[in-house]
Amino acid sequence: MNTNLKISNVTKIYPGCVANDNVSLEFNSGKIYALLGENGAGKSTLVKILSGVIIPDEGNIYLNENNLKLNSPLDAKKNDIGMVFQHFNLFETLSVFENLIIDSDEERESLREKIDTIMKKYNFSIDLDIPVLNLSAGQKQKVEIIRCLIRSPKVLIMDEPTSVLTEQETSELFLSLKKFSEEGILIIYITHKLKEVMQLCDEVAVMRRGKLVSVSEIKNENIESLANKMVGQNLKTIKKKKAKTSSDQLIKITNLNFTSEDPFETNLMDINFSVNRGECLGIAGISGNGQSELFQVLSGEIISEKNSIEFNKNYIGDLNPQERREYLMAFSPEDRLEQAAIPQMKIFENVALNNFKSSNFFNNGLINENKIKEHSKKIISDFNVNTDNIDLKSQFLSGGNLQKLIIGRELITSPDLLICFNPTWGLDVGAINYIHETLIKINEQNKSIILISTDTDELLKLSDKISVIHKGKLSKIMNSEEVTSEKLGILMGGAN
Amino acid sequence: MIIDINFIGLIIASIMASAVPLILASCGELITERSGVLNLGVEGMMIIGAISGFALMTVTGSLIIAIFGAMLAGVLISTIFAFLTQTLITNHVATGLALTIFGIGISAMIGKNFVGIPGKEFPVLFEGLKDTIPLLGPILFGHSIVFYFAFALPFITSYFLKKTKIGLIVRAVGDSPESASNQGINVRLVRYACILYGGAMSGLAGAYLSMIYTPQWIENMTGGRGWIALALVVFSTWNPIKILIGAMIFGGLTIIQFHMQAIGVRIPVQFLTALPYIVTIIVLVVISRDSRKIRLSTPSSLGKSFHKDN
Repeated sequence: MNTNLKISNVTKIYPGCVANDNVSLEFNSGKIYALLGENGAGKSTLVKILSGVIIPDEGNIYLNENNLKLNSPLDAKKNDIGMVFQHFNLFETLSVFENLIIDSDEERESLREKIDTIMKKYNFSIDLDIPVLNLSAGQKQKVEIIRCLIRSPKVLIMDEPTSVLTEQETSELFLSLKKFSEEGILIIYITHKLKEVMQLCDEVAVMRRGKLVSVSEIKNENIESLANKMVGQNLKTIKKKKAKTSSDQLIKITNLNFTSEDPFETNLMDINFSVNRGECLGIAGISGNGQSELFQVLSGEIISEKNSIEFNKNYIGDLNPQERREYLMAFSPEDRLEQAAIPQMKIFENVALNNFKSSNFFNNGLINENKIKEHSKKIISDFNVNTDNIDLKSQFLSGGNLQKLIIGRELITSPDLLICFNPTWGLDVGAINYIHETLIKINEQNKSIILISTDTDELLKLSDKISVIHKGKLSKIMNSEEVTSEKLGILMGGAN
Repeated sequence: MIIDINFIGLIIASIMASAVPLILASCGELITERSGVLNLGVEGMMIIGAISGFALMTVTGSLIIAIFGAMLAGVLISTIFAFLTQTLITNHVATGLALTIFGIGISAMIGKNFVGIPGKEFPVLFEGLKDTIPLLGPILFGHSIVFYFAFALPFITSYFLKKTKIGLIVRAVGDSPESASNQGINVRLVRYACILYGGAMSGLAGAYLSMIYTPQWIENMTGGRGWIALALVVFSTWNPIKILIGAMIFGGLTIIQFHMQAIGVRIPVQFLTALPYIVTIIVLVVISRDSRKIRLSTPSSLGKSFHKDN
């Protein structure tokens, strides 16, 4: 049976931002549709409207000519619209089966049979009786998909599903999605990754700043044309010049171990690497394989053995982040609003948090506001932060501007080594370009970078050497010219 | 010295009796906390239950009205907490503390007229069977209905949380209210229900104190038992069976240290009175130290307000 989903003149306005501006779209089953756009383009709002999480200010949704009133996620479910969110809607401490039975009206046994049939049909293998927190991201996503399939949906919406998956898991997902589509489920695939759109979808709708920009068939598009539609301007491509190989070692990690008591954390096992001056070492991996623990060990949030980290001929393994900064290390953590900055504090106050003995931010225990403000203004102008109000609370900066501020704060003291963790996570293309340029500049000034990232393309673009972290172990360190994203993908999945 | 075996039975029975209010209040609070709500008002709800039960018993003369009235009073006062924290999204900790202070104050005010009035005898069950079995007889028989209910409650609670759909929903809401809401579960309704249930159990615990355990009204008669109940929930890592163990240890040491004081053991009294608190916490920490299990049974959203935005 054919499914037809129509979005008609949907508008959703938030204070200070039009998330969806009169959007109309039509979908038919048998095809896979891509909804493409940058962060903040309004695609997430649109799918949340389709799944009943957000109620639109204006406009209607029609499924097979019926006007749907989607006031809650329950309404979407009842109308056979299934949704897999980017951030999983699972209960981590409940078992897989408990997660699935919670919104089902079926009896335990019949539901179990149904799940088994679904798993056999699509070649999923998941232990139903272990808690969800023990599953990998790919398995969690499968649980979400099973949850939708139990209700035999007419429409399946996938919101940025590959952001947590390996290359292998991604291709498995694509196979399943194609199978679903053949079986008559209408699939809407939300992403900002152009490669995936070309690989998977039949039609693509591009959104920009809340508006629908274009709807076209994939065969008439290519990656460049889609990128330009998405950003609305022609993008310059940046490329790193090959660094002169220097043999001047800056940091050396020897036999570093970390054992955590928290079952949610990953243990680090026998980490060894070194970085020379002017070099960028990239560390690839699927999130949750020990990256955040490695970052914390390197930054001093977790103290390790004194001799395990040698920086500039000093042993610093037992120093805290403040003391490490005095040795000219700088850090840009993954979570901008939780770890790098304090959202409720003003820009200049956040700048003052990165306090050095030499910076004279404090006199006899009192805050030297003028000095800090002067310093903050310099960061804002040097690093292109798009605001002139340093009294603004940091939470009102966009992700890109906040990241520029943080990188600026770290770099203004011209450190020898910058350690960053997913520096462009969640940023739009323009900001990503700016951060990438800045990082390349650091290397050109003979300073070093350790770049921990889950974005393979970013790593290949910026690194001189690359290693892969898997379950807390580092692979051998490779020259980046010898590496391809396929090879990284295989290593990220744990193979040798 | 010859110790009558039935005397040991009586001591054990008195230990169990002193554990009853802790078990009731803890099991109620456990459900509340499993849904992600931290209600620090247990002490306040208990004392309201105690005065309501005693007052209703004196005024109406009906024990049934008094018991259910005390539970209803617990529900009513916890409704204030639920309205503040769930509808007006106030801070759980501050609201809970306020509830306790409010409860202690208002119970003292109502209780003025009931000081010195003797309580009524509460009927006990299976009185005649007490002497049929040595040792076990006094332990098993001759107690009030509330006593039996309290010792069944941890098992009922455990079964409810693990095996029933509603129990699953409660745990899900406590684990991730956002996910639950996206699944179409009415988070606010679930949390209201859990808070009200916690209130009813605290009310019952209070009524047990003023109507059965020591049948009279004394100002501030809960004497910190509400706080112990709260501590039991946390240190038992939200496990009803461990609450039972903790309450028994606490009750046991309280009774034993009384006897030790009476015999005249040469240990400072302050130390003896502190003993139950210290030992209970140590034992519960030791039996609950598996960090994996703690992670699995701790409600992740405990104490965090949930606000659904549109």
